[in-house]
Amino acid sequence: MNFLPIIMFPALFALVFMGLPVAFALVLISVLFGYIILGDMIFLQLYGPILSTSSNFILAAIPLFIFMGAILERSGIALRLFKALQLWVGRLPGGIGIATILMCAVFAAASGVVGAVEIVVGLMAIPAMQRYNYNGELIAGTICAGGSLGTIIPPSIVVVVYASIAQLSVGQLFAASLIPGLLMVAFFLGYLLIRAILKPQDSPPIPAVDLDISLSEKLTITLKALIPPLVLIFAVLGSLLAGAASPTEAAAVGAVGALLLAASFKELSFETLKASLAVTVRVTSMIMLIVVGGTMFTGIFALAGGGQLIRDLVDFIGFGNTGLIVFLLLIVFIAGFVLDWISIVLICIPIFAPIVKSAGIDPIWFAVMVMVVIQTSYLTPPMAPSIFYLRSIAPPSLTYQHMYRGVIPFVILQLLVLLVVALLPETATYLPSLLVGL
Amino acid sequence: AEITWRMPAAISEGSFFYQNFMERFAANVEVTTGGKLEVQPFGAGVIVPAFKVYEAVQDGLVDAGHSTPSYLVNQDPTNAIFASFPGGMSGEATLHWVYNGGGEKMLQDFRREKMGLHSIVVGIGTSEFMAHSNKEIRTTADLKGLKYRTSGAWAAVVKETYGGVPTVVPGGEIYTLLQRKGVDAIEWSTPGANLSEGFHEVAPYIIMPGVHQPSFLWEVFVKTETWDALPDDLKAQIEAAAKLTTYESYAHFGNSDIKAMAEYKKTKVEMITLDNAVVEEMREAGRSWARKKAKELADAGDTSMQKIMDSYFAYQKAWAENSEYLVRDIVK
Amino acid sequence: MTSFLSVIDRVSNFFGGIAKLVILCLVLSMIYEVIARYVFDAPTLWAFDISYMLNGTIFLLGAAFTLQADAHVRIDFLSSRLSHKTQQFLNGFFYSFLLGPCFSIFTYIAGKKAYKAFITNEVENVSPWAPLVWPFYGVIALGLGIFALQFFCEGMKYLKREKIPGEHAGEIDNIEIDTIEINNTGEKS
Ligand code: NA
Ligand code: NA
Repeated sequence: MNFLPIIMFPALFALVFMGLPVAFALVLISVLFGYIILGDMIFLQLYGPILSTSSNFILAAIPLFIFMGAILERSGIALRLFKALQLWVGRLPGGIGIATILMCAVFAAASGVVGAVEIVVGLMAIPAMQRYNYNGELIAGTICAGGSLGTIIPPSIVVVVYASIAQLSVGQLFAASLIPGLLMVAFFLGYLLIRAILKPQDSPPIPAVDLDISLSEKLTITLKALIPPLVLIFAVLGSLLAGAASPTEAAAVGAVGALLLAASFKELSFETLKASLAVTVRVTSMIMLIVVGGTMFTGIFALAGGGQLIRDLVDFIGFGNTGLIVFLLLIVFIAGFVLDWISIVLICIPIFAPIVKSAGIDPIWFAVMVMVVIQTSYLTPPMAPSIFYLRSIAPPSLTYQHMYRGVIPFVILQLLVLLVVALLPETATYLPSLLVGL
Repeated sequence: AEITWRMPAAISEGSFFYQNFMERFAANVEVTTGGKLEVQPFGAGVIVPAFKVYEAVQDGLVDAGHSTPSYLVNQDPTNAIFASFPGGMSGEATLHWVYNGGGEKMLQDFRREKMGLHSIVVGIGTSEFMAHSNKEIRTTADLKGLKYRTSGAWAAVVKETYGGVPTVVPGGEIYTLLQRKGVDAIEWSTPGANLSEGFHEVAPYIIMPGVHQPSFLWEVFVKTETWDALPDDLKAQIEAAAKLTTYESYAHFGNSDIKAMAEYKKTKVEMITLDNAVVEEMREAGRSWARKKAKELADAGDTSMQKIMDSYFAYQKAWAENSEYLVRDIVK
Repeated sequence: MTSFLSVIDRVSNFFGGIAKLVILCLVLSMIYEVIARYVFDAPTLWAFDISYMLNGTIFLLGAAFTLQADAHVRIDFLSSRLSHKTQQFLNGFFYSFLLGPCFSIFTYIAGKKAYKAFITNEVENVSPWAPLVWPFYGVIALGLGIFALQFFCEGMKYLKREKIPGEHAGEIDNIEIDTIEINNTGEKS
């Protein structure tokens, strides 16, 4: 039995819990264990992930989406947008949270990069919710869960990578994940509504005086505040869904759109621009370095024999199909606590796909279930990218306590979606079946 | 195992090519060497980035590598002759040239001299689809202004000879961009490998034959020192495993292509076969590209591309002139 | 010593400033591509390579700047219970004696790769544009080098107890939300 890959995890946690930034812990553990395997060559080996991450075209969408969000926030466009959204859904219990999830869903539909979605919407929604004294856990949970929607709502990079590894049609997988994605949005909205009714103090309704205006005034505010950003968001969404831009190009359209909108509202000062650029540099570097560290860790885990270890384990335990699916999804769920989605997909799927295929399980259905479970990985600590992204933009008054506790109900909701997809495979397989024989 | 080779591939684990060449080779080596050599395969990006596999072996980072000369064409166009290029031979003729016409030997000498690597061919493939397209392509005039996802020699020909617009699209974005008409046409792989990508679901036309990539070639390579230090019997066993892998995977590709073609015909996608005259015009443009590159290199004092190309074209000519005895299972 | 540290801080800030400008370059080049591709039906050959190169540049030239701002994510729910002194020692030790040296070696390797790419005229592997790669490789080496220096610099600040790990403000604090108070008509008040 080869214990080396297993030991990597407690060693990683030791550094992480000691308070070393996660990215640095990933790098150091990779260097240490890599040295045991490769000796001096390890530094040459680990230069690979630095180069490949720096050269990744898809990741170039990240700074653009962050920049777009930062400009929107500073210019006040986002705040006006929320003001207007509040006018429409503010009378609903938990109205701002509902508006947040709706916006996350729209942004998720415009992007496949989860961190960017969360940062764009988070920069707008946190101050809005704090202004109305939302419960800290609810703020954190809503933002994190909303941000993670980027995975399941197409377009999604997770889906693309999964499809390429498992040899499935990307288009079919996009179609397959659409209904579960919308289902998840519905579950989140339902939860926010019910919770707001049961515990009104956690997501208080907007004071009536704020909403007590005439319809014509309401429409004026909407036209002035809601329409321009919606046009912007739909420009991003539209250039992806209809206008045919890649995520990076769509993100650039969004960034320029945000600049133009801010300028048209005379809110684009040199200071605003400078501050937005500074935030963009810091958040981009932070995210990119985690990707570098995660890729290093994955590589060393594979070199240490991690893949073989998992293969042996699956062979060792015999299961029926239901048991096998539960077991594989459980591994993905548990892996989600400690690994990022790239690592999970890279390590698990090459091993799982042949097992699933030979067991005669519908690979599309299985893929969608994995996608739903991978979504929980954004929220489950200690390796919780959604929480990291939130942390990077959150004020100190939002603590880790808030974040870790706040995501729990949303993880449960995601698992409920999993249950629905598991019991009703049609939720995943119906739309792709429409595509066959175009 | 007495010897273990860590061997990263330039393609993702689980992909069509990975299973056919990489995993098949690892399994065959196990059999032919009686377990003396163990090949530990790794997918692209897991321990070495996809396009850095040659360099990783040269650096001594891994013992062996698995990649295609296609990825070295920008660096040295000589690789295009081995990788297959527009105007190049069919898979069938390539197979003969590589093993019986001196092709593999030339590849080995070239790798040894230029890169310090010992190369063994482990895979030769069938033709790709020339395009999944949103626009009808029937003549070379249809290539003008065409936003076409392609690379290498074909990109140069499309741009310089036919006024097309070759464009880079990252792997994961191809499907989406094709669906939303961000590109007019894309080329990817063989009919069998393309089927699961689902391109035919989003673009109304398939253009054939695969002029741009009539065949393809994958190789396994180790440092020359590594190879030269092996005992002769082991070398022979590894070579046998590689050759077996090539033949097995070739038949596997053809078999899955034919089945896939039948699948495509059940869908609404329109399959356009270009006229012979158009095909020959494109192929000649591809050969001109190769001659031009060989001349540029020769003028700079490097005649290896010229020599290899001459052998290749001579074999192609002989095949074209003398293969009419072969029965072709085509019903028109 | 202190002046040496402040020089490193200033170098990191300078390259962080370059990274900020590169963001604008990324926006402009992508918009150029969008217009060329969708309005003039003539996509550029270079947009793909330029976009990842610019993103890599933002990341690497911004890495030291980000480290200086202590903006890399920590999971500090356990470590925040340790004394400041212990936190400073742990971080100072890891930064100065492990991360600094590791990234120095990465810098050396990146520099060697850039030099090799320069003398062999290495070009990008598969892009039709086939740009020379040494400028980008050089930026990687440069970014890693400043990053390594900043690790030593930050490590010293912790060991000298001038800075406390994780005491940075969240990004949103830099946004002056309260100055953009909005009334019901959607105008700035
Ligand atoms: Na998405
Ligand atoms: Na997690």
